[in-house]
Amino acid sequence: MTIASRIVRRIRDEPGVHWVAKQDGVSLEIWKAFDQNVVSHSAAHHLMAIDELMRRLGYARVSDVARTLNITRGSVSVSLQPLKDAGLVVQDENRHLRLSPQGQSLVDAIRTKRLVMTRLLSEFFGVDAIHAELDACKMEHLLSNATAQRLVSFLRFIDAHGPEIEQFRRDWAVHDANCTHQPESCASCDAVCLADTVAAAPPSSESET
Amino acid sequence: MTKLTPAEAAAELNRLFAEEVEASIRYLHLVNAVKGLDRVLVEPILREGVRETLEHADVIAKKIRALGHVPKLDIQLSCPPRAVGAREALRIALTFEEAALEAYQDVLRRVEGDVPLEEFIRSQIAVESEHVAELKQLLVE
Repeated sequence: MTIASRIVRRIRDEPGVHWVAKQDGVSLEIWKAFDQNVVSHSAAHHLMAIDELMRRLGYARVSDVARTLNITRGSVSVSLQPLKDAGLVVQDENRHLRLSPQGQSLVDAIRTKRLVMTRLLSEFFGVDAIHAELDACKMEHLLSNATAQRLVSFLRFIDAHGPEIEQFRRDWAVHDANCTHQPESCASCDAVCLADTVAAAPPSSESET
Repeated sequence: MTKLTPAEAAAELNRLFAEEVEASIRYLHLVNAVKGLDRVLVEPILREGVRETLEHADVIAKKIRALGHVPKLDIQLSCPPRAVGAREALRIALTFEEAALEAYQDVLRRVEGDVPLEEFIRSQIAVESEHVAELKQLLVE
């Protein structure tokens, strides 16, 4: 059984995950759920822009958000509508924007997830600072709270065990360098070498080009 | 207020150019997103929106060229593949038309002292205000 099929079997039994039966088995429909999420990537940036403006200027107007995100006012207005409908953003009679308590809580969580992801990717996994920041930005609004809690817990652990973690990283680097890339003798790979597959893949995003 | 340099004036106009081009694309998407009998009611209004916003964009582009610059178009647009009714289509149109009107008002404050540009922006504000008023009329219960 491949790693992918093992993961699929595990997720399949999770509550709330929608599946569609196909002739050749079962297809995961999680990506569609991402598209329907109220807090899309763009929405997360709108919320965070309002929060940043409130902190910096003490107010946020549509024009300020448009300039911060370098997009049109029209785009901001249309994008804010679902966030207002969802009760995350409030606009007063002077057309000033603010986050509702629920919106503020969401922004705080997104910011925390970004910080945790950035730190783990750069400090623990050794991803360069730019890719760590970009990938954290892509994931910040998609990570579940349950996963984020485990990541925070892990971050606390590595912060509290500096010398052991340093040793772990040295051992890891040696292990990596000694890899023979032979799937048949590898505990992680099945038919193909996972490391080779990732290394040979074309860039998945602009940030990798 | 100090008169804007041509480059500063062009930058302000580029913002309006983006608003108008984006609005035209949004209208075009809305024309094709309205389903059912509602379509008969609003299609002419939305198609007129496509035409007028493109016309406005073209006028702004000419102003930018007259300043010795080439228009810069910087838009990021995503219209979801979701069917809408007539009322919602008009409500969405009102949202971006109001935003465009505010963008013109914003630019008017910045170009104070540049009489020809001020006059142009004022005339655009008059037209945009009419659009907004018409859409509000259509949305009255």
